[in-house]
Amino acid sequence: MLASSRRKSSLAFLQPYLLIAPTLILVLMFNIVPAFRTVNDSLYKPARGLNAAGKPPEFVGLQNFRDIFDESHYIGGRFLRTFRNTIIFAVATVGIGVPLGLLMALLLNRHQPLLGLWRFAIFYPSLLPLIGAASIWSFIFSDSIGLANAMLKTFGHPGLNWLGDRNLVLLSVIIVNIWKQAGYFMIFFLAGLQNISRDIYEASSLDGAGPLQQFAFLTLPLLRRTLLFVVVISFTFAFQTVEQLQALGEGGPADSANLLLYLVFQNISERRNWGYVNAMTIILIGVVLVFTLSNFLLFERDETQR
Amino acid sequence: MKDKNILLDRCGDALKVALAIIFLLPLFFTILVSFRPEAEPVTNGNIFFGSEITLINYQRALVIAPWSLHYLNSIIFVAGTLLVQLVTVTAAAYAFARMEFFGKRILLLIILLQLMIPSGVLLVQNFRTINMLGLFDTRIALMIPYWGSAFGVLLLRQTFREIPIELEEAAHIDGANLFQVIRHVYVTNSIPAYLAFALVSVSSHWNEFLWPFIITRSEEIRPLTVGLNKLIKTTDQGAFYGQLMAGTLIVIAPLVILFLLFQRQFVESFARSGIR
Repeated sequence: MLASSRRKSSLAFLQPYLLIAPTLILVLMFNIVPAFRTVNDSLYKPARGLNAAGKPPEFVGLQNFRDIFDESHYIGGRFLRTFRNTIIFAVATVGIGVPLGLLMALLLNRHQPLLGLWRFAIFYPSLLPLIGAASIWSFIFSDSIGLANAMLKTFGHPGLNWLGDRNLVLLSVIIVNIWKQAGYFMIFFLAGLQNISRDIYEASSLDGAGPLQQFAFLTLPLLRRTLLFVVVISFTFAFQTVEQLQALGEGGPADSANLLLYLVFQNISERRNWGYVNAMTIILIGVVLVFTLSNFLLFERDETQR
Repeated sequence: MKDKNILLDRCGDALKVALAIIFLLPLFFTILVSFRPEAEPVTNGNIFFGSEITLINYQRALVIAPWSLHYLNSIIFVAGTLLVQLVTVTAAAYAFARMEFFGKRILLLIILLQLMIPSGVLLVQNFRTINMLGLFDTRIALMIPYWGSAFGVLLLRQTFREIPIELEEAAHIDGANLFQVIRHVYVTNSIPAYLAFALVSVSSHWNEFLWPFIITRSEEIRPLTVGLNKLIKTTDQGAFYGQLMAGTLIVIAPLVILFLLFQRQFVESFARSGIR
């Protein structure tokens, strides 16, 4: 033992660094350096005019940010509408999807016949590609032959233009997202519920507590951590889920249902807009960072300090 | 009191059935529409099958994109991503779990920044990086941003730390080198964690669309989701929903079937994917 450790000792201190090097380099290359470059590039405008491709970009300070927050500017109009949509989309998804996930976890918590079937029914949308889920719903929402309008018509309603009416497209997108994500939220609540001891419920029902009291005074307080966690990650996700728009109206008429990351995606081939795209990405990173950082501070800090 | 509880239970059961039906309806109608004659409204004729059962939608969908090629591409994409991840993640997880070295905490924090600044939001800059590396429209370009995984490092570091250190000491006494220790002590005893990581990694990359769409141009390497996008865009022009639903089913079938077979593993793996 001693001999071998002495023989290795000259280079052994390098070992841990070699082990983490691949991960570290990849994270630097595809996460950290690009994040700093986004900040830098958001202060520049690509050169204009003929043969602009070879010319260096022009430093413009915070002008890109002023433009994207300027309602009268063409990119500002698009950005502000899209930013507002993104917030509505996130709040609605979280506000409806998370309670729905909790409700379904409560319904599926106890051991019961056909558990597999129930779990499949609720969770399978989470496993579909977003673009596949959206493709299914593009049929449901389609004008003439769609399921949504067929149902409305049986109630005597003439039907709605789900993906064409600028007041409706965002709602359609939100419905799809809730359907897709609620099952994913549910499994965190199921895991949380399983950690609550059965004895507590038995003791409380001996004391005469009904199921509703048990939910309000036992389950909910004991699930507080899980609930907080799911709310934080669901917000983080909401700002990054945009692929469904590809099949659901591509942001709707006049960006009425556009989302931030999708607006970035739409402008990626427009070289002259790259300054704006980087500025928008900064806003997006900022929002995602706030939520993931609070997730980290709330749940993982103790974990890394051990 | 008792009666009230029974009533509540019944309400719960009814709600459960209603929610399950609502959630299953889209899949159910996707299957129905894929077998119906093209563009026949849902209300026309027999609510379930329309005027006849037909495979024409599948035949049409099969012509629009080279699905078997897309399948192969998706398999190469997720397998190539996962295999490299397994190596990078295991190495880093071991170092952070069991070694002491200068800068350990700060280096771990740097890696964890990946969770806070996901590469998915850095589309433009990563697109530029790939172009600068001359990797545009290659399979490597699809996979390389995912080869390092902070999630995997965290998950396995946690798992490795729960393995008794005595096992490692015993292996050292038997003369095992570092590679053998990691392989026979740590990897062998962490199979459930690896399975969880693999399921989350495979299903998330199998479903990915934006990055593959941006970073590739040739059909020869594009995955299934990009093929589905082509089908969606073709359908847009003529409202061929039967064909679109048939194509969608071709794309989603494997994951849905895998989920049916390994439900418990999927649910448990995804429950760990939040990392706490």
